[in-house]
Parts: sequence; C-alpha cells; structure tokens
Amino acid sequence: MSEEIELETPMGAGSSDVLSAELREALDGLRGEIRTRFPERQRAPVETIDWMAIIQQIQRRVSTLGMSERSGEVDEFGMDEIVLRRARPLLELLYEHYWRIELHGIDQIPDAGPCLLVANRSGLLPYDGLMVSHAIWRMRPKLQPRFMVADWLITLPFVQPYLARLGGVRACRENAERLIRSGASVLVFPEGQKGAAKVFRERYRLKRFGRGGVVRVALETRVPIIPVGIVGAEEAHPILFKWSAPARAVGLPFLPVTPTFPLFGPLGFLPLPTKWVIRFGEPISIDHLPPDAASDELLISRMNEELRSEVQALIDMGLSDRGSVWE
Amino acid sequence: MNSPGVIAITGLGSYLGRSLVKRLLRRSPEIRIVGMDRRRPFRLDPLVRFHTVDLTEPTSDSRVAEVLAEERAEVVVHTAFRSEPTADFETDHELETIGSLHVMNACAAAKVKRLIVTSSTMLYGPWPDNPNFLTEQHPLRGHPGSHSVSNRIQVESLLAKWRSRNPDTEVTVLRNCWIFGPTYTDHVARYFSRPLVPKLIGYDPLMQFVHEDDCMHALETATLHQHPGVFNVVGSGVLPLSTILRIAGKRILPMPPPILYRMANHPSQGQTGDPPEGFYDYLRYLWVADGQRGWDAFGEPVYTTREAWMSFVSTRRMRRYR
Repeated sequence: MSEEIELETPMGAGSSDVLSAELREALDGLRGEIRTRFPERQRAPVETIDWMAIIQQIQRRVSTLGMSERSGEVDEFGMDEIVLRRARPLLELLYEHYWRIELHGIDQIPDAGPCLLVANRSGLLPYDGLMVSHAIWRMRPKLQPRFMVADWLITLPFVQPYLARLGGVRACRENAERLIRSGASVLVFPEGQKGAAKVFRERYRLKRFGRGGVVRVALETRVPIIPVGIVGAEEAHPILFKWSAPARAVGLPFLPVTPTFPLFGPLGFLPLPTKWVIRFGEPISIDHLPPDAASDELLISRMNEELRSEVQALIDMGLSDRGSVWE
Repeated sequence: MNSPGVIAITGLGSYLGRSLVKRLLRRSPEIRIVGMDRRRPFRLDPLVRFHTVDLTEPTSDSRVAEVLAEERAEVVVHTAFRSEPTADFETDHELETIGSLHVMNACAAAKVKRLIVTSSTMLYGPWPDNPNFLTEQHPLRGHPGSHSVSNRIQVESLLAKWRSRNPDTEVTVLRNCWIFGPTYTDHVARYFSRPLVPKLIGYDPLMQFVHEDDCMHALETATLHQHPGVFNVVGSGVLPLSTILRIAGKRILPMPPPILYRMANHPSQGQTGDPPEGFYDYLRYLWVADGQRGWDAFGEPVYTTREAWMSFVSTRRMRRYR
C-alpha cells in the first residue's frame, strides 16, 4: 500500500493525494476492525487444475497399457525374465498359502543337464505347469523348466502374451527338441487337451498319452524322462460337464461348467483352494537303449504305456498322502 | 574368388535386383551383369547390359532364353516379384507365377549353371500350430487370404518340379523374412511408419526381421558362390510386437480382429494403401523361421532383429521421445 502512495506522490497534485491517503488509511482501519471482529475462516486454496498434464498422463497410460511391467527383452521362445521375476511373489503366494503344495522327490531331478518331465494335465488354465515349474525353480534356482501349453491356449487372445512371457511354449515336438538341445528342461503333459477336458468324475484317471511323442523326443535327444504326479489341480477347476454350443462361437474346444463358472462370471475363473501334492518319480533312463530305438514303434508304444502307469502310480500315492481335498 | 561368369538378373528395377547390381559392381567392376526388366530403370549403371523383357507377355520365355543365350549367362538371379501385393490379382499372378515359369523354362533352354530365386518366410504362413521356429523342411502353408503369398508358393512348387527335371542346374532359394533398414520400403515398412498403428487386441506374437544389408549379403554370396538348396534368410533374435512398437514410440490402436479385418480389407482392394486382410494374421500368429542353415552358409547376420528395427526407426526418425 505504502509503496503505491510513494510512487504516486511525485506525479499527483497536492490535496487530492492527501485526501486519498486519508481515505485509504480509514479504509485500512475499517478492514482491520472487521478482521478482528469476524475471525477469518480458513479458506481452501483454489487449486488450478492442469488439465493438459492429466490428459497427457492418461494418454501415456493408455498407449503403454499393460506394458510397463515388461522388459521387452525376451528369449527365443518369448520368456521375459523381468515379468517372471515380478510374478514370483504371486506364484509364491499361490504355492505356499493358496494350494499349500507338498513336494516329494525333488532329488530325482538331476542337478545338471536337461530332462523331460512328464505330468498329468488338468484344468483349462495351465496352473499345474506354472506351479511345477515354480516348485522346481524354488528348489533349484538354476533350473527353469519350460512348460508346454496346448495350441488353442497359447494362441488365445489376452492369455497368449502373458503365458509366453511366463515361460509357456506351444506343445509340439519341434519346440521340445529345440529347448532340450539348448539345455533347458521341459515339462510336458502328454494327455493334452483330453486331460484338460476331463470331467470331475474322471479325475485322476489318466487318458491316453498321445501317440508316444514324449518318448520319441526323449529318444531323439537322449535325456532322462521323469514322471511327475500332480494331485489337487484336478479339483481346482472341477468340470461338471462340458457345454460345446457356446464354446464354438468363441473358438474354444468346449466351455467347462464348474460349480463357479459361468455362474459367478469372471470370478468363476478363480481356482478352488485345494490341497496339492506334487510327486517326482524315479527317472526313466534311456541310456541302455540303442540309438536307433526312435524308429522302433513297438518299443515306443510300450515305453509310453510304462510311463503312463508310472505317472498313475505317483498320482495314487499322492492321493493317499492327502487327507482330503482341502487338507 | 573364381569368376562366376555372366550374371543375369530379372527384375532389375526391384529393390533386390538394383541393390545386387550395386553390390556386385562395388565388389569388382569386372563382373559382367545382364539386366532384364519391363522398362529401363532410372540411373542404370552403364556397365550393365540391359534388355527389355516383359514377363507378363506369353512369349517372354523365348525372349528370356534368347537374351540368356546371346549373353552366355551362367547364373540367373530371379528377383522379378512384386515387393508388395497389389489389388490387381490377375497381373500379380501373371507376373509372379507365370513369369517365373517363363524364366525357369528359359533357364532350362539356355542350360544355365545356377538359378537363384528370392522368396519369403511369409510363405510358411501364420498358423496357430506353427512351431516356434520353422525350418526349411516345414510345408509352405501360406495364407488363404493373401494372393501374393499363394503366387509365391506356386512358384516354389513349380521350381521344385523344375529342379527334378533339370538336375544340372543348381537351384538356390532364399526365403527372407520382413526386411527392414534405412532404404528398403514396402507395405510392411509403411504400416509401421504410421503415427497410429492398428493392432489386434490381445495378441502379441514374436516377430523376426532381417536387415537389408544381411539380406543383400546372402543374395550376393548365393550369386557368387555355390550354395544349392533352400535357405531362410533371417536376423537373429526375436522381439514381441508390443516391444517393437514401443521402441518406435508408436501409438497403438488395439482393435478386435473382425473389425480390423473388415476395415483393412476394403481400402486395400480400392488401392488406398492399407495392408490387405491377410496381413494382420501375420501380426496375430507366430511365423518365425529358423535361420541356422542360412547362417551356416552365408555367415552370421550382422544385425539382430532389434538392430534391424532400430536402424529402420532411426533413419525414418519415427521415434517420439517422451
């Protein structure tokens, strides 16, 4: 205030300045009086909203939707180390607290060198593959077995980008052989889609093990086969019956009707917290077989059946270990 | 280097033909090159002997045979293909399939020593049941929606038959994946140059590119030396599509497949430049090729997929820094 007056005086002319100065003084006094009588309420400061910044931020979020957690560096089968590392706590939570997984026979897995793990398949989403792979990683951090996923699942929209980054590979002989040759262990589910589509009353009864592709891969690459029995996964998504009419419309092989799906909508995708037992069996060595065994069809089909009964035995053992589905 | 003899190049005006001439002459001006194309290319090197040949004409096979006999060509490099599909299905078929047949017949008549044909890994086709790495033995399943790919598959099957009838000629087929680099342009490069890139929602396949220098190096080596057989010419390493677009700082427009296919199909047939419907399947499923056989023959690629892409992005100044 005073500054203004000082500035104005040189320009102004006499009495009117004095008058205005007096007037201002009086007004200031009045203002002071009012302030003391009516204590000032805390007024919220008016925030200026920077709309442009918000729009830019939204734009950035939209254009990088779902990508911020990806490193972009993938291995030749599309696994992303950073995504996997970020997913570890979630996998650990599922492993330790949700399914309370009990692990037997981890010593059967060789410390070095690739092997072919053969397990029973169940449920539409590959939780079993993720869990076995995580279990082995927990015990042997150097081993990161890649799990094989059926064609229709690895090309399913929205599922495909994540499965590949978590280590899923499309199930086919070429991929399995290439992975083993590059030194990785591979987890396969030779039951394939027939295993995933098992209804609840057929649980823990193994389906046919394909046409012996697993044995063929092992014979070609000369790696040991380790049977794996997974108990609990088959009750995580109990399929009551299959509904094929709406499934064809969306390109699925069938639509499973479980106690929670499609009754509860997307919530029905949540698996049930059953008790899991994963049991590794004794490795089936193929060293004693001649190198041309891969062309012996009868031998392959016999070994395939042998392998199937091994896995079935491991499942039966796992079932007797477990008190009930939940314990 | 032993003298390769006279090299005849069909489709001199195409990117591959033009760059091959440049590279060969840079290597040694002694190399004798005969060029054939529909019309004389702009700024043709005077060392190249040029003949006008239109492969879509019915008698072009005898015309090519005449040129080959007259010039005593020993090596034929067939690059007379469309670098991108056009809406003119009929001419595409006449040029690519029937034109190649004419060249093959002319080669048989002129008894050339070697025939090199450029092809593409797109011929394997994007299929959900492809293995992660397609080897040269994998059947060429192509894409039903892409007439250009179907034409090239016919070329390869004609060539396989031709090879069994003409065992004295060494045949080399180079299947390259999508080429990226500072100078190469086709519909793929244009698609990725757009400011807003439409993409199929929920799909993020692994992609594989080859740098133009690596591609040309393979073609040059195959021209000068003996490498009979089929080779995938690809860069090393793979990258997910989302990473590729993010490196270029692209805005992505995710769209559900039925809508995007419909949107892409009509303008492409009206030749307004959008890629045809079949193209988007190549951004949906996996069609990565195994390059080991090609790398063993022509040497390891200098550029990885990421580097090929980076060189494309940096020369086009596409990167938007945020």
